[in-house]
Amino acid sequence: MPDATQQEIWWAVARSEEVTARKPLAVDIGEQPVVLWRDAQGTARALEDRCPHRRAPLSLGCIRDNGWIQCGYHGWMYEGETGRLKEIPNMKDQQKFPPVYRAQAFGVYEQGGMVRVCLDAKATAPTLHDDPLTYVGTAHVSLGHQEYLDALYDDPGLVIAIRGVSFTPYLMSELRNQDGLLVMERSCQWKGLHWPAPFSSDFPLTVLTQTHPVSGETKLTLRDGEMNDLLHAVIAPVPAARGVTAIRWRAALGVRHPGLRGAALRGLNPFSVRGTVDGARLRVTRPSASLHGEDLRNAMCAPELTSEAGPLTPVETVAA
Amino acid sequence: MLEVADRLSDNEALSGVAASTGSGGPAALNAINHWVPHNLVMRDAWFPLAHATGVGKKPVRRAIYSHPFFLWREDGVAVASEFHPNEKQSRASSPFTDARGRYPVMERYGYVWGWFGQPESADPVHLPSLPFLPPNGGLPGHMIGTVRFDCSAPISLENLIDLTHADFLHANITGDEKSESESIETFFDSESITMVRTCTGKSVAPVMKFFSGIKQPTQNIRQVIRIYLRSHCAIAYGRFTPGDDVPLFHPCVPETRDRTRLDYAMNTSHAGLLFRHVMPKASYMVSRQDSSMTSPQSPRYMRDTNRKDLHSRFDAPGQRYRMLMMDIANRQDAGDFAYRDDVSADCSDLIGLRKELFRY
Ligand code: FES
Ligand SMILES: [Fe+2]
Repeated sequence: MPDATQQEIWWAVARSEEVTARKPLAVDIGEQPVVLWRDAQGTARALEDRCPHRRAPLSLGCIRDNGWIQCGYHGWMYEGETGRLKEIPNMKDQQKFPPVYRAQAFGVYEQGGMVRVCLDAKATAPTLHDDPLTYVGTAHVSLGHQEYLDALYDDPGLVIAIRGVSFTPYLMSELRNQDGLLVMERSCQWKGLHWPAPFSSDFPLTVLTQTHPVSGETKLTLRDGEMNDLLHAVIAPVPAARGVTAIRWRAALGVRHPGLRGAALRGLNPFSVRGTVDGARLRVTRPSASLHGEDLRNAMCAPELTSEAGPLTPVETVAA
Repeated sequence: MLEVADRLSDNEALSGVAASTGSGGPAALNAINHWVPHNLVMRDAWFPLAHATGVGKKPVRRAIYSHPFFLWREDGVAVASEFHPNEKQSRASSPFTDARGRYPVMERYGYVWGWFGQPESADPVHLPSLPFLPPNGGLPGHMIGTVRFDCSAPISLENLIDLTHADFLHANITGDEKSESESIETFFDSESITMVRTCTGKSVAPVMKFFSGIKQPTQNIRQVIRIYLRSHCAIAYGRFTPGDDVPLFHPCVPETRDRTRLDYAMNTSHAGLLFRHVMPKASYMVSRQDSSMTSPQSPRYMRDTNRKDLHSRFDAPGQRYRMLMMDIANRQDAGDFAYRDDVSADCSDLIGLRKELFRY
């Protein structure tokens, strides 16, 4: 499979509230460092996190009142939309710079509480209509992007947690290609005393995941037996430097499940993404859905089919 | 006037360059655009390995380009060996030492200097001139110190030769960029480069406001950076009017290709009591600020790239530094280790030293 970071993907590299006009934010897409900030109009901007003067990270600089980013080393100032150099301190006589005087600019699209960056500045932005979900978090896991997704497919408990809920190894529906997304549904149990999963006749809950085959961005829905959506989450794993995966996530509660268990789910942090992965457990986790997923992905991402998934098209709720 | 290195056609394009060595052609452009400081190895030079006070009976270990230098004193005289006295000699001595594994060594200006290169070529005449340091040493302990940089030595020196960075990185110590005028001149020969930065009506350095009692809102400054290319040694001499002189010896010893050791000496003997004690210690804060930029810079220069750095007219000295370093490296690659210019000639006039303050 080609390097995912080279494709026309709108990576969810930050949550909206992480990008401010006070301090630049350093993120990466694979080995590509990116600096994010908000300009004077509040628009999120993304440049290569490398000053073209002497290669210092622009994220160590500051944001001027007019919305330009200023390198912290020798003070060169850049405008966010095009990356063009606007000013060199103490060179007031020279305020027009040739076009090569610019930092590399990237496309930015912000929606649903996520700031997305595409390394191809000319790529057309997607149109998404997601509500920003209220519970949020950021985690960095020392696991490669695909390994991370494979763990999510094979044993979600390795990488995420839902309050009061345990994941079982049993699927209601195995991974399949549905409208360009990798979709699966896993049976879950409420935590507490009950027959162990291998001896249970029925499970009260399922987790439905819909994953973009390349970006790995996943929508997750927890449902009870009555088909009520109890919880929604968006998990956006982005390949970062040194084989780390950066995960931004947002979650919101849905319908209230009756009784104590429903109440427990509504406590603090109903959803979380783990910051560390138990290596001993991961190592012996047998591949199951992930192997199947690889085959599906290869078929879906064969050149003539790439357009089907498209640049992160909005995920419709999949009917059961 | 802006300079893009790939448009540089002759020396004129580098404004402020005062002399010419005939470089400026394709080799010079390569030096600027394909600058991989980690690959440079300068031979046949004196390197300041340690403060003289740091070398006693017990060997201390230093390195030049990963070559071991053990320093100690025998009957009070400094020696430098590639072997620790307790070390079982399991390897042959290198071409840079004599049969006993000893490097040429000398003591001057309060430093123990080791010669890295052909031992027969070692000659005190190649020792850099440092006219504001007492030749026989003896500066008090509070004027000397050690800091380390997590970068290639030439990157540390490039940092120094472009002082416009001080207005941003060290504004809390040396003052911000606001000034009425700023000019930069470059002087060089084949073994050294000197940059002179003159600013008028510049915001007063906070450190002088507090510790020298400067009441005026602005001051005129004349800062000189002089680099002895092979030895990776720099002089940073600042004259502040009103204010005190700040004469700093700033050697960047290339211990390894991506780490630099700085055993500095700041001779503030002539300054007021407070400034005399405080200013040398500012090095600790200043060096961390520099390091915040040079550490992330360094890996980005470790491999050659086709992406050219951009330059402003303030970068003329930095560009020239790259060219001169590459000139020496190319000559050394061709087997020519001779000095064409004298580094030990007194540079007092060149750096504009207030000689009355430093009579030795
Ligand atoms: S490295 Fe950014 S201004 Fe010099
Ligand atoms: Fe500095």
